[in-house]
Amino acid sequence: MAPLAVLKQVTYTYPGAARTALQTVDLTIDAAEVVLVIGGSGSGKTTLLRCLNGIVPRFHGGVFGGSVTVEGLDTRSEPSRRLARSVGLVFQDPESQSVMTGVERELAFGLENLGVPSADITRLVEEALISTGLSHLRHAPLSELSGGELQRVALAGVIAMQPRILALDEPTSQLDPVSSEDLLAAIRRLSEDTGAAIVLAEHRIERCLHLATRVVVLDQGELIRDDDPDTFARWAAIARPDWLTPIGRLFSRRPSTPKGHPPTPDGRLPFTVKDAHALLARDDSCRLIPSWHDDPPRRSSETVLSAEKLTIGYDPELPLAVGLDLTVDRGEVVALMGENGVGKSTLVKHFNGLLRPLRGRVVLGGLDVATLSVSEAARLCGYLGQNPGDYFVKESVAAEIAYSLATLDLRGERAAQLSERVIADLDLADLLERDPRGLSGGERTRAALAIVACAEPPLLVLDEPTRGVDPSHKTGLAKLLRAWAAAGRTTFVVTHDVEFAARAASRVILLGPDGILADGSPRHVLHRALFFTTQIDRLLRDVTPGALLDDEVTWEATS
Amino acid sequence: MASRLIHVAAGRDAAADLAPYGAGTASPLRERTLASRGPEDRTRFRAARRAALLRERESRRYGLRRLRPAVSLSCTLALAAAALVTTNPVQSAVILVIVVTTLAASRVLRAAWPYIRVSLYIAAVVLLVNPLFAGAGLDVLWGIGVGPFRIAVTVQGVVFGVGSALRLAGVILAFSLLNLCVDPDDQLAIASRFSFRSGLVLSLAARLLPVFSRDAARIIDAQRARGVRLDDGRAHHRAALRLPLLATLLTQSLERAVDVAASMEARGYGAGRRTRWARRRRWTPTDAAALSAAVTAFAAVVVGAVAGAWSFTYFPLLGDIWSPLGDAFWLVVVAGLVIPLIVTMPWRPLPSSSR
Repeated sequence: MAPLAVLKQVTYTYPGAARTALQTVDLTIDAAEVVLVIGGSGSGKTTLLRCLNGIVPRFHGGVFGGSVTVEGLDTRSEPSRRLARSVGLVFQDPESQSVMTGVERELAFGLENLGVPSADITRLVEEALISTGLSHLRHAPLSELSGGELQRVALAGVIAMQPRILALDEPTSQLDPVSSEDLLAAIRRLSEDTGAAIVLAEHRIERCLHLATRVVVLDQGELIRDDDPDTFARWAAIARPDWLTPIGRLFSRRPSTPKGHPPTPDGRLPFTVKDAHALLARDDSCRLIPSWHDDPPRRSSETVLSAEKLTIGYDPELPLAVGLDLTVDRGEVVALMGENGVGKSTLVKHFNGLLRPLRGRVVLGGLDVATLSVSEAARLCGYLGQNPGDYFVKESVAAEIAYSLATLDLRGERAAQLSERVIADLDLADLLERDPRGLSGGERTRAALAIVACAEPPLLVLDEPTRGVDPSHKTGLAKLLRAWAAAGRTTFVVTHDVEFAARAASRVILLGPDGILADGSPRHVLHRALFFTTQIDRLLRDVTPGALLDDEVTWEATS
Repeated sequence: MASRLIHVAAGRDAAADLAPYGAGTASPLRERTLASRGPEDRTRFRAARRAALLRERESRRYGLRRLRPAVSLSCTLALAAAALVTTNPVQSAVILVIVVTTLAASRVLRAAWPYIRVSLYIAAVVLLVNPLFAGAGLDVLWGIGVGPFRIAVTVQGVVFGVGSALRLAGVILAFSLLNLCVDPDDQLAIASRFSFRSGLVLSLAARLLPVFSRDAARIIDAQRARGVRLDDGRAHHRAALRLPLLATLLTQSLERAVDVAASMEARGYGAGRRTRWARRRRWTPTDAAALSAAVTAFAAVVVGAVAGAWSFTYFPLLGDIWSPLGDAFWLVVVAGLVIPLIVTMPWRPLPSSSR
């Protein structure tokens, strides 16, 4: 059978860019394949996906070499309407890809463009709504949806067009673990039922490696690996362990096998809990023992933030949470998790007065937030929202940091010291002279984090700081937050990334529709949870109860 | 998976899901009933309640928002046309009152505040400037000589200023009705009957102000959150602090425009004939009555303009302000503009358009 898409020697440079985004890439995609595309920030994943439906180079311009054919059609000469039937592309940022203002009309937009008869559109829109769990939001304006809901709308809009290739750019980056699993299961079903090929660019590899039939690795625009998942895992175990699933990493460290060879009987590293369970049951030459220590007690009794009987929301008739009581102590790293749309971002916007509570009050550093302006509260609470671009008003990253410090009246020696520290902490030395607006997604997040963290406020609030950030920088950020906590700084992170929460947080709060569902150490909250837990906990909850991360257990030979 | 099933169930039949708990709005009693049930029940209830609220909001529309989009559009255009052609200050005031009443009856008065503010600013400027420079009147109230120039504020100039301000405010607010009472997607659907491209451009342009406002609010929040005191100091200091934000706003708008365009291209836009899709809506007696009234009002505006019924003399002496109020064209216009208000009143037994 002829392949669905063939990329031959594709080299591409964006207009005005200094370096190539893709460098002599060769790739073939067959029907019903699930191709996982991984790589660091700015490695060319998004560009590769955009090549598939021809918007690179047709829409973006630039210098393009080589050829891309989809179902035998050259993407450079074929009209977009024909290609849209073959390739559906879901962009990274769902907020800026909606054309219409309502959910149903947004789903119908692509079908209208394809000239699908009106009666068929009604049916397809309905099916797409059901398959993505959006039926209850059919009448909602897009402006009222959460990021995760918007992401599902974008996917539904593409699914409705029934493309042969579905290209998804970080589709789960804004989804809670449950919604992510639902979405990925729906994608897999779609591939199995229709034979559609899925090309998936993702940083959260643990969520989707087991679904992949192939893994493509990009590095600075070059395709450096194109393997089946097992071969990829064997390579990654040595070259890039952070690109393996936690379970894969765990089994790659199994002893008594020569380095470079998979330490499992059949030569394969497991990716899923099911595979790993089978392996553990089959081979008892090694066993796992816990190597973690009990969580230290809370560092300090000094309260940085407290919320009393807080009722939040936009509509008094439909508050998001009622009567929340919450205290955050100095030196904590608190991860706030919960379902999409439950009110996590809304809650943290009350901490610095960006939103006022419907009832109750927030006390920040001993002061009632209601008595402070947001800019006054900034001295006590740095806040990084979901859109880092909102923070950039200067022409370079260095100027942004200097401006932030000057704004908070930090000048001279002290400012230089703080600036130096944050640049080193966030690995920004190479980006200092760059225009922040021209940075890639992950780099933007780091630059914006520097802007709000440079003055070292007593409380730092981060809303989804790992969105678009590659695994190595994510691990780096987790370590950094821990280090800051050790130095007495407090961080409150809103995240859907359970692995990140387990690694970074000293405390996890699970927010539900009825308020706080759980509040305690990561081990207390995540251990034995159904979805809001790590892969390692799912595997080892009965073997080494309490272990959440692969480096919290060690292998030991049994005989 | 459970979550998805809940969503699907909630969407399929939200009313049925809510039935065991009563209607779709919260009450302490219902919350207590819920508290006695399992957490899954509560989650299910909340998803269903959100769906029910959305449905309720969809079905409980007021004023022009009750009408089919094309009918709302006709009423809005009739109001705008009337506001545009009338030059008599009393007539302009009456049209303005009808426009504001329509905004209030459609429950969008609060949302119209940005437009009202703009109208007030412009009206204030017109009101101040016109009397100073429209000095052709004979009844001088106050005069001053500045070198070779003489400024004379006359009764006619003041009335002209008032009339112009009222007229401008009427036109601006009538067009705000279009944005607030006719969904942009519906506007696009109507316009695409004639030309989808032009409709899309108009629709995107109409959304520009709300999107700009939202982006600007977010950027301002981000700057405040990093400690920038945007509201402190003198006006020029505040302006200097806000000026760089404009670049950020424009950059983001451009980025968004590029992303939207790329998304449209990726979904096959602009390469061949499109089909049009919209949920079917029933025609109701309310729609028929409002449309007839709006068309009649519009026709009276046009015929009246041809017949010279809307001309009013300001200079050198004011014409008769009151006698045009008994004119047949005027009475037909007023009736045509008020009837949609009456038929869409909640107390009317006529059913609304429903999906």
